[in-house]
Amino acid sequence: MNDRRFRLRVTYSIEGRLSMLSHLELARTLERIVRRAGLPFAVSNGFSPHMKISFGSALPVGVGGRHEIFDLQLVDYISLDKVKAALVAATAPGIEILDCKYIENSEAAASVALPVSVYEAVLSGPIDSLDVPDEIEVKRKKKDRIVNVSDHLVGGVDIDADTVTFTLVALDTGSLRPDVFMKACLFQTFGDDEGSKAPVHVLRITRIDQRSAVRC
Amino acid sequence: MIKTDLWPSIEPLLLEIERPSRYIGSEWGSLRKEQAYADLVMIYPDTYELGQANQAMRILVNAVNATEGLAAERAYLPAVDMIDAMRERGIPMFSLESCAPVSEFDVVGITLPHELAATNVLEILDISGIALHAIDRAEDDPIVIAGGPCVFNPEPYAPFFDAMLIGEGEEHVPEVLEMVARLKGEGASRDEILFKLSQIEGTYVPSLYEVVGEQVAQDVGSWVRPRDLGRSDGGRAPEKIAKRIFEGFAQSDAWEPMIVPFAEVVHDRLNVEVLRGCARRCRFCQAGMMYRPVRERSAANIVSAVKRGIEQTGYEEVSLTSLSSTDHSQIETILTDLNREFSGKGVRISIPSQRLDSFGVHMAELVAGAKKGGLTFAPEAGTQRLRDVINKNVSEEDLFSSIDAACKAGWRRVKLYFMIGLPTETDDDIKGIASLAQRAYDRMKSATPEEQRGSLRMVVSVAVFVPKSQTPFQWDGQISSDETLRRVSLLKCSVKYKAIQVNYHDPKTSLIEAVMSRGARNISSLLEAAWKRGARFDAWTEHFDEQAWVCAADECGIDMRELAQRSYDTDRVMEWEHISCGVDRGYLARERDLAQKGITTHDCTYDVCTSCGVCPNLKVKNEIAGDRSLLSPTDTAVMERCYE
Repeated sequence: MNDRRFRLRVTYSIEGRLSMLSHLELARTLERIVRRAGLPFAVSNGFSPHMKISFGSALPVGVGGRHEIFDLQLVDYISLDKVKAALVAATAPGIEILDCKYIENSEAAASVALPVSVYEAVLSGPIDSLDVPDEIEVKRKKKDRIVNVSDHLVGGVDIDADTVTFTLVALDTGSLRPDVFMKACLFQTFGDDEGSKAPVHVLRITRIDQRSAVRC
Repeated sequence: MIKTDLWPSIEPLLLEIERPSRYIGSEWGSLRKEQAYADLVMIYPDTYELGQANQAMRILVNAVNATEGLAAERAYLPAVDMIDAMRERGIPMFSLESCAPVSEFDVVGITLPHELAATNVLEILDISGIALHAIDRAEDDPIVIAGGPCVFNPEPYAPFFDAMLIGEGEEHVPEVLEMVARLKGEGASRDEILFKLSQIEGTYVPSLYEVVGEQVAQDVGSWVRPRDLGRSDGGRAPEKIAKRIFEGFAQSDAWEPMIVPFAEVVHDRLNVEVLRGCARRCRFCQAGMMYRPVRERSAANIVSAVKRGIEQTGYEEVSLTSLSSTDHSQIETILTDLNREFSGKGVRISIPSQRLDSFGVHMAELVAGAKKGGLTFAPEAGTQRLRDVINKNVSEEDLFSSIDAACKAGWRRVKLYFMIGLPTETDDDIKGIASLAQRAYDRMKSATPEEQRGSLRMVVSVAVFVPKSQTPFQWDGQISSDETLRRVSLLKCSVKYKAIQVNYHDPKTSLIEAVMSRGARNISSLLEAAWKRGARFDAWTEHFDEQAWVCAADECGIDMRELAQRSYDTDRVMEWEHISCGVDRGYLARERDLAQKGITTHDCTYDVCTSCGVCPNLKVKNEIAGDRSLLSPTDTAVMERCYE
């Protein structure tokens, strides 16, 4: 097999109501966008052929993103302007196609290329400071897990009135969800379970950037 | 009218409940029409996953939105966790497009797809803050209407609806909405609006009728009588309400714009309706009576619709839907054309209902490609005698030749559907199911290469017969739960092959189905009492609460078993006879009589008219796009003898 393949990387944002999609729902939605756009996507060989598309690291349900990516293999070269116009026309409000580029086949997959995520949490009101706990107990279906915050948190936590910005890195062993992190920080700071008596609560969280790992 | 936007109060709930994408709307293809002088919210009485792909929702919302000045939105009953969260916070049921309370629409339409959605209707009205009973609604409350299969016996639901629309709604629903808007604009009272609605063909306004007693009903031929409304013009509601038919169906564009959901839903694919109606005349089947006559869309119309649908939705699968798609006179052309169009594009084509013969298998093969899941056949009964009783015109040889063809083509899994408790059924018929399944399995084995026989699977699925209104078996009772279990265990003992798995439908819910299917107006109080005791989502095994129904029946003094199980003579006037699907009463009675004698009736799309009455009564006719093949002369001779 010597198929010509053109590897496309698409950057998009997903915000508002659509941040309620699960990763699987988002994946299916993006696949259907590609189909509607009429792009000449590559199809896997085998018993049940499927679109050669791969997705960036998952967003938790309820968290939006302004720098999300997916990679798509095309069997024909299409100019980037045309690709973008076709995708935009096939996309419903809530997802915005920001950028398309061709990348080398040797580049790392979308899901592992960008392990560092920058998040922005908007709170219901301004705060002066936020205490970050050393450890967070993460509840899982089968058993709970203790996460060492310093393994994931890159740099500090920036506070600008009602907006908190922080950076988390995903490791091979797992990742820390931004919503879980914020909840733990609010609990650490205001000491109230469920945050019902805390002076503020999280209105929304958005992943504003994704980067490759920086080795120190 | 500016509607309340409930999104700010709904949004915070979404992180606490399961699968929030069901409640956000904004799907591809959804439409929010701003400029309208009247609007409808169409509600499906179950969750989004089950209702999103519903054809009635899709067709009627499109029909209304296509009408100038009218708008329609959608709503689905939220799942139990969401309902509970909404009740706790006092948030009413909302539409998806505007996130507006459903009570703020001019007309609220609820489709009644099956009998086990009945308590959900009350749940909808309750969480919407709409009075349960039509008579308790205020002047400016919405007009609440119903439609769908269950309105062919509207009585158990009658007190909860202002109007019930019988038959196909493509033209009917916009007419009703326009009438409501016009009269509201003129400042007409609610009573006046309801009366005027009752004058629109096919519209049943239950509050304009009084229920009469058994004796009167049997004497005059109807259980309800139009009330004297004391109008100066002497106007009354009509005595009989005949279903509406969308006469333009066959010629109308088969591409019916559809919404592509985010959440995973049932039938999540492009659905193209290729024909409406089925004239096979299975005597237990309500759909076969309800959707007559048969109307086929042309091959060119269908192929063009599928192409446009795939382009516009991005779906990777299309289903050619109808009651019996392989009966379409041009099905081979359609499938061949679609295969050519989509080869190498990763688009799957499926046909939901297969004809039980080698032609059906050939058609399935045309679309299956390399991947062959299971094939489903519905012989319905285990012996030829009983198949003749129910008029399922297939022979053992039809089944076996289908199985041979399927296994030779590479299928390894076969599912067989049967009903138990059919009129005249004996233990021999139950044993006949086991015998037929085992012999069918033997055929599977001999048609499959030896080294692949290990992967052969057969599932025998049995459901309990539910007598349905407007069918020849409406007078026949259901068997009891105990008897059902006895027959199921007889079946299980009779199946000796380990490779054949036997599944059966819970007889407890089948009883409720029969009660709702055959009930009179007094059943509405049972329904309400069951709902008050917590019954909802009755079709969900994990939510079905038998005790709620049993206690409610005690409280109302209703004997559910008697209602479900009693058989009547054909001269008994049934509780729904003021509603007509166009089929003559005499035809139903004659068919039941033929059933008792084991004499079959042919399909009128393959042969001469069988005088069911639909065509002359409703001034319509079968519309066949090509030529359905004629039966052989000998078959015809046998068929004709039925009418001597």
